[in-house]
Amino acid sequence: MEKERNTLLIADDVLINREMLKDIFEDEYDILEASNGQEAIKILDEKKDEIVLLFLDLIMPEKTGLDVMVHMSLHGMMETIPVIMITGEATVESDVRAYELGASDIIYKPFEPAVVIRRAKNIIELFRHRISIEKELALKTEQLRENQKKLEQSNDFLINALSSVVEFRSLESGEHVQRVKKFTKILLKYWQALYPEYGFTDAQIELMTNASALHDIGKIAIPDSILMKPGKLTDEEYAEMKKHTIYGCQLLENFKQEENEFYRYCYDICRYHHERANGKGYPDGLVEDEIPVWAQVVSIVDVYDALVSKRVYKDSFSIDDAIKMIHNGECGIFSQKLLECFDAARDELIANTDKPE
Amino acid sequence: MIKQLYENIKGNYDEAITRMRDDERIKKYLNFFLMDESYKQLESALDSKNCEEAFKAAHTLKGVSQNMAFTDFAESVVNITEELRAGNLEEALKIFPEVSEKYKFLIDEINKVM
Repeated sequence: MEKERNTLLIADDVLINREMLKDIFEDEYDILEASNGQEAIKILDEKKDEIVLLFLDLIMPEKTGLDVMVHMSLHGMMETIPVIMITGEATVESDVRAYELGASDIIYKPFEPAVVIRRAKNIIELFRHRISIEKELALKTEQLRENQKKLEQSNDFLINALSSVVEFRSLESGEHVQRVKKFTKILLKYWQALYPEYGFTDAQIELMTNASALHDIGKIAIPDSILMKPGKLTDEEYAEMKKHTIYGCQLLENFKQEENEFYRYCYDICRYHHERANGKGYPDGLVEDEIPVWAQVVSIVDVYDALVSKRVYKDSFSIDDAIKMIHNGECGIFSQKLLECFDAARDELIANTDKPE
Repeated sequence: MIKQLYENIKGNYDEAITRMRDDERIKKYLNFFLMDESYKQLESALDSKNCEEAFKAAHTLKGVSQNMAFTDFAESVVNITEELRAGNLEEALKIFPEVSEKYKFLIDEINKVM
């Protein structure tokens, strides 16, 4: 805890001058005295956190008042300790120099106590106010950073909770979403490295990764009878199942945020994560580059995870088999760039894949 | 008693009272004034023709006597200070006897009330 500032330093070589100021202020403040510049500097160095005001005589032995102020400037004391110059007379040069060096005020001998008190108190208040504002500002900045961090954490939490709703309904644990996020991030990092021309930033990758968690959010609108059916779907049922891409977008459109990058990633990923490079995907039959990269990445990741995991309707494949199937086009055709990226990331993907039981 | 002193030395008692508040305090400062060395410093600096040192001493003496509201004495000190500030040692030496005379009178008067 910092000691309460309540000390005046009076630096004047003349005892009478010091005593007069002391008389005026000693009831309300602790008083320190310096009879030359060198002494003033020493006291300032030792007690700078307690001193609220410095009365400084210009002409003193050892070091002058100007020397003292130069020392204060060099050691950052001028921001927190106001200086009132005491001088016998007004000469334009010394006044200008004193103000240049940051003196807050100049009082001329002989003192008028009432005036000196008023000025001193005003200046002390001003500096107290300034120091407390600066402290508050520093505190606010700190809080702002903390809030931002908390906000990010609650965002993550909300996205994870929301995206696991569908899986929770189909009696899965929500791990698929977590794995898709993990794999998406890995692939995007490789994409960023392999294809710098896309200019993906780390922050964008973070947003895309979060958005990937919501890829199947539209499944919330698919009836239990289809979503949880153990066997093969009929054509009508499959047609309905495909609509989860559209439903997801409809859901998001209710909260549409124009110009919002995150919204765009969410929307694209929900809608296009079943598109394929040859136009045989759904719902829009886009080809190649028409499919946003972030949706392409989620599409291959989604397939990969589906292959290596056990589902209600199927057993899992081995990692090697899964990779072969993706390359053979057994799960639809992916763009060349995406496959190359997938191959580059292969070892890291495998290292992050739980071995099928 | 103190008021009488200020009348004798052509000082400004009212001013002294506003600054020092009461006679007790004025006496305290009178005592400080007796101990103040700036007059001696001025004298010896002038003896050795050191204009800069003489200026510093005169400057200090000026501040002190103004603060004490020794109006008449302070006026003489202001004059010599300005000459010394301008580097006119000769002129200052011409004024000094007057300063000296007033100072001695002042000290005598002060000693009477202490």
